[in-house]
Amino acid sequence: MEASKIDRIVRQYGARESAILAILQDIQAEEKYLPRETLEYVSQKMRIPMVHVFRIATFYNALSLKPRGRHKIDVCLGTACHVRGGDKILDKLERDLGISVGETTKDKRFTLESVHCVGCCSLGPVAVIDGDVHGRLSQEKVPGLLKDFK
Amino acid sequence: MPKLKIDGLEIEVERGTKVIEAAARLGIIIPRFCFHPGLGPVGACRVCAVKFEEGPVKGVQMSCMTDAQDGMVVSTTDEEAADFRKHVIEWLMMNHPHDCPVCDEGGHCLLQDLTVAGGHGIRRYLGKKRTYNDQYLGVFVQHEMNRCIQCWRCRRFYQEFAGYRDLGALQIAHHTYFGRATDGQLESPFSGNIIDICPTGVYTDKPSRFTGRRWDFERGPSLCIHCSLGCHIITSARYREMTRLEARFSESVNGYFICDRGRYGFYYTNHPERPRRARIRTEEVSLDQAIQTAAQKIIQINQKNGPKAIACLGSARSCVENQAMLIRFCRVQGWNEPTYFETPTMAKKVKRAVARLDEQLAVSMREIEKADFILAVGADPVNEAPMLALAMRQAFRNEATIVVIDPRPVFLPFEFEHLPVAPDDLEPCLTALIKGAVHRSAAEKMGEEALRFYDTAPAEYPDAPIKNRMVKITQKLRQSRYPVIICGTSIVRETTPDVAADSALLLRAARGRAGLFYLMSEANTFGAALLSSEEGSVMDVVESIEKGSVKGLMLVESDPFRSFPDYERLKQAVDKLDLFLVMDYLPSFAARLAHLFFPTQTLFEMETSFVNQEGRVQFATSAYRGGIPISQISAGGHPLRVFRRDIPGGESQPAWQILAKLANIISLPGREMFSLSKNELWSWIAKEYPIFANVPIADELPDDVRVHLAQGREKLFPSGGQIRSGGLSRENSTLELVMGDWTFGTEELSTYSKYLQQVEKEPCLFMSPKDASMLGLKDRERITLPLDKGRLEMELRIVDTMAPGVIVMPKHRQLAWQKIEKWPVKVAMGQIRK
Ligand code: SF4
Ligand code: SF4
Ligand code: FES
Ligand code: FES
Repeated sequence: MEASKIDRIVRQYGARESAILAILQDIQAEEKYLPRETLEYVSQKMRIPMVHVFRIATFYNALSLKPRGRHKIDVCLGTACHVRGGDKILDKLERDLGISVGETTKDKRFTLESVHCVGCCSLGPVAVIDGDVHGRLSQEKVPGLLKDFK
Repeated sequence: MPKLKIDGLEIEVERGTKVIEAAARLGIIIPRFCFHPGLGPVGACRVCAVKFEEGPVKGVQMSCMTDAQDGMVVSTTDEEAADFRKHVIEWLMMNHPHDCPVCDEGGHCLLQDLTVAGGHGIRRYLGKKRTYNDQYLGVFVQHEMNRCIQCWRCRRFYQEFAGYRDLGALQIAHHTYFGRATDGQLESPFSGNIIDICPTGVYTDKPSRFTGRRWDFERGPSLCIHCSLGCHIITSARYREMTRLEARFSESVNGYFICDRGRYGFYYTNHPERPRRARIRTEEVSLDQAIQTAAQKIIQINQKNGPKAIACLGSARSCVENQAMLIRFCRVQGWNEPTYFETPTMAKKVKRAVARLDEQLAVSMREIEKADFILAVGADPVNEAPMLALAMRQAFRNEATIVVIDPRPVFLPFEFEHLPVAPDDLEPCLTALIKGAVHRSAAEKMGEEALRFYDTAPAEYPDAPIKNRMVKITQKLRQSRYPVIICGTSIVRETTPDVAADSALLLRAARGRAGLFYLMSEANTFGAALLSSEEGSVMDVVESIEKGSVKGLMLVESDPFRSFPDYERLKQAVDKLDLFLVMDYLPSFAARLAHLFFPTQTLFEMETSFVNQEGRVQFATSAYRGGIPISQISAGGHPLRVFRRDIPGGESQPAWQILAKLANIISLPGREMFSLSKNELWSWIAKEYPIFANVPIADELPDDVRVHLAQGREKLFPSGGQIRSGGLSRENSTLELVMGDWTFGTEELSTYSKYLQQVEKEPCLFMSPKDASMLGLKDRERITLPLDKGRLEMELRIVDTMAPGVIVMPKHRQLAWQKIEKWPVKVAMGQIRK
């Protein structure tokens, strides 16, 4: 991320330690992840030790240190989805996409993650793609599910 | 005060005491991982669960999070509580490696102890353990993150307690990682403490890793002598080698922690070049033979040139026993008394400080933590006396205001108000602040002298910005309930210790309570100042040698080559001597030149005592018998199994015993004979110096004996009318050179440590941006600095946190700075070049 862009974000919130989360969120939104050089720049500019910037960056699931795909799939492994075979959905996705949970496909199309309950247990097993819930999944439904995402 | 019952025993404690602490006072140690008396509670581990049977709280609760309250009935042995604790340990062990035999913590591991004590033996969970990558944390600390039980002690010490922020917590929940953002040497000079406090083996002592289990070591209570504070330590020795040092709790001095200079400075005692045999010139002889030869030589010189022809130098790193015996020796021989100080100015400053420190003003480091206003003058705590910085930080955490008046680029691990002013401005700034905060009437009430001090003391700040900054601060001091003045003795003027004491008296009169805390240069500077009556200096001795009136020189644990300004001149003087006798344990330059050399014992090998900078007489027991470390003669193999009667390299003796033996041979019949008993020596000390009379000559280690000159003997406010205004001496064409200390690289003993050598920074010259731009110099340029006796080359660092008109340089081991003839040193501006 260019320095001028980071400067703008920092200016917007002020270089206070308490603003660090908001600043990281904005960077994440723009870049889809938090590049290391950007964090180093932020740490120096705001005079906040790197270990503290990392603390925030690694504390929240919404923030990522690794480049992200264009689409994010969260497979639910909460109790209800687990009983109904959430892990099988995850298995199938891992096989079809050729990545493990937490990773991003080479073409940057998908990032695969697991979550613990998204609050619609009656629809389980559930996966959330870019914020939209897809319920009552089965392994057979998986290929069709991915088709529409470019 | 709440009264409660724990396991049937009743106890009354102050309000705010946690149940876990109340129990400890009864001798009941409730299991704990996260709670630490120095760090307080956080409730992170849940292993301190106890059953509250009656009172305001009921059921199983955390004893570290619960305040002791009236009527509580607590059981630590209750079945439900014990079962709870057992499960907590089982959970913690779920991710913990089961490999104590290859962990260096094994044997002194809290987790190991509690796992065994709690009865968790069989692993039931068969899933995988979470694993981490370890980091390189530098020379001192080994990292093994898989052993972490997330008690947060390390982060709480490192960031909250000590104020450094390069080690912290990362990630979340059971993935929480304690470490740095990247590999690298820990930045805090207190980093070693995380080794002591981590309840498992995440951080272990790297230099001594795998050198033994706790029970393999000879362990004993001792003292740190790498600065004047005298922190308490525990030594571990094995195979004739000092191996590891840990902090020892002290109620009044260092609390639970020590600094890294103290922890890793001890390697001089194992130094491979440490001289361990007596020598006549280059020939190694037995100690007795050397003593005989020395005695003959001394008798000869005494007879031919008279008793004043032999001069003695002692040092402030020597213990009380050595210092005292050297004086006794000189007195019996009718010689001049030994010299303990490098310059007469230094002697004078320290003696004034010692004289002014009375029982009512003196404060300990623990008391500094309670101050609400700290005013440090000519003191650079992190570099001169590291643990003081931590004590000041605790005051800061309790919202104290902290002001430092010092020309050097002082760094402290907390926010403080720094007045970077030239040495001449230190006193005026101090009195300006005091006069601003203390009303004249307070001085008036204290009598004529106080009033004279008040009225004649200048009240000026060097410039308007500083003056403006001080308005609010002065207001704070005016309202302070417990102000403390910290006064250094190295870079200040001769009068400053008195000005600091007089200021403290005024503050006490105005505020009802005030403290005074001096810093000194070495571990036993206070002892030397108390014992020695002469104010001679090394320079006087050298001059007498040149004139031919001194023919013999005896050095007792002293190396004048370290600090004497003119190296060549000193060497020539030494070459002229008929007798050059050196007793030491360091491979010093003087030791190499000695005609007669005697190996002495280090603190770790003898029973000994030191007086710290607040006048506290402290005792150390010997850790081991001494001798050449087995590792140095066994080529790293298994310990030798060679049987012999003596200890290889074990000839060293306490310097005071060598002196006693020597004296007994030279003494004419009828003169006093010296005993080799420490108690006898101490009775002599107590007789000659009544101030030591209340020191118990016992084997225990009391740490609460303070010796101070009796109240009322000293004239108060002697500095009245004497404080010079600062601005007068300011010249624009010269820069004043100020020599400072660095945490690593300047203190004599610790510079022999191969581990501290690895973390030393390159010496450099500090200059303010204003002066640098006038000279057209840039940051990190190599420059030459002309001194009286030659030039020095080093890197220039431009920093905006120091006084203009001043240049600052460390007395660094890697820098041949001994080229100065007279203090203070003023360098003409144009003389500093690229
Ligand atoms: S590294 Fe040690 S001190 Fe730090 S949280 Fe883990 S177990 Fe506690
Ligand atoms: S502060 Fe001084 S006495 Fe204490 S451990 Fe450090 S060097 Fe030793
Ligand atoms: S468990 Fe999957 S939505 Fe609740
Ligand atoms: S010691 Fe009480 S919760 Fe850890």
